[in-house]
Amino acid sequence: MSSESLIVDLSSDLAPVQRRSMLREGGLVLALGAVELTLFLGLGVMRPDISHMAGSPYLMWRVGSLGLLAVVACVLAIRSFSPTARPRRGLMLACALAVAAIAGGAFVTPDGSGEQALLDRIDPARGMLCAASIFVLSLPIVALLGALMRRAAPTQPRLSALASGIAAGACGAFVFAFCCPFNDPLYVVVWYTVGCAAVAAAARWRLPRRFRL
Amino acid sequence: MVAAQNGHGGAYRRLLSEMSEWLTRYFQRRLPPGDVDDAVQETLLAVHRRRHTYDPQYPLGPWLAAIAKNKWIDQLRSLARRPMDELPDEIAVGDHEASVVSSSVLASLLDELRPAQAQAILLVKVQGYSVEEASGQIGLSASAVKMNIHRGLARLTAIIEKAPDVE
Repeated sequence: MSSESLIVDLSSDLAPVQRRSMLREGGLVLALGAVELTLFLGLGVMRPDISHMAGSPYLMWRVGSLGLLAVVACVLAIRSFSPTARPRRGLMLACALAVAAIAGGAFVTPDGSGEQALLDRIDPARGMLCAASIFVLSLPIVALLGALMRRAAPTQPRLSALASGIAAGACGAFVFAFCCPFNDPLYVVVWYTVGCAAVAAAARWRLPRRFRL
Repeated sequence: MVAAQNGHGGAYRRLLSEMSEWLTRYFQRRLPPGDVDDAVQETLLAVHRRRHTYDPQYPLGPWLAAIAKNKWIDQLRSLARRPMDELPDEIAVGDHEASVVSSSVLASLLDELRPAQAQAILLVKVQGYSVEEASGQIGLSASAVKMNIHRGLARLTAIIEKAPDVE
């Protein structure tokens, strides 16, 4: 088939299309995150002392930094779905934000936690469960961002998939932060990072396979 | 592009034609000649499938160039995956010597005839046109064409018989 006949085929019976809107896509992700948080907390798994800790710098750090990272990463991921976007700089910004959030944990260590042995503070058995919970909670967001990515036209799909994974991992960790009973920032930094990294790696591996421009 | 997004087929056809010309020049500088058409058509298909992602607030050129670059990289990857057979040093090819010599001899023989005779013989006896079709092309009557063929062939026969190296 020549290019001319292809052009005739493509332009005949042309249907109007709805333009892609980043605002609409951001709203979808936000709505799904809100629904997930509501359903998750509706199961009665929220920390019983959450109202008591509401003003503590530790909870502010945990929820605030994860929420900020989730919002920034979602915006970067959705922006990266545009063909003219350059996701590399945005990813570096998200990584810098994550490092700053981790560093901020040094200033909010609760009393007494620094005196325990390192292995006791990290608690690998429970930590693996926390990381797995973050992974599962991030799956709906990954699925939505993957669907948005398939409908859009990212020209660097691997980086876009990585940004989507980081965004979804941050969203999952943000939701999980309301029920996680552990207060030690070292524990949070290690296992939340493991959970988010696992989601990012899975998204980076899986999402580009389902995408073709 | 905005008109195309709104379903205007005529505008879209003009746009795709202009894009096709630009893409042909783009890929001609970057791909082997045999892969240019494939790359152009793949890019046009991608533009069609993703036309909703174009934001009219921004210029169209970078949007198209980004998609074309992506398709170029795809083509380079497929080129790298394509198996390459190493050609032997002495590759056998068909012998075209006889047809080349015949064509050359015929051309030199026809040069010996009057132009009207040569043209009539070329059209009817070599290219296979009917006398009527040839008369339409030359602008002579059918009987004049037949006469030119007859006299031209007689002249060719005489030339060939006089030639010293005829086998």
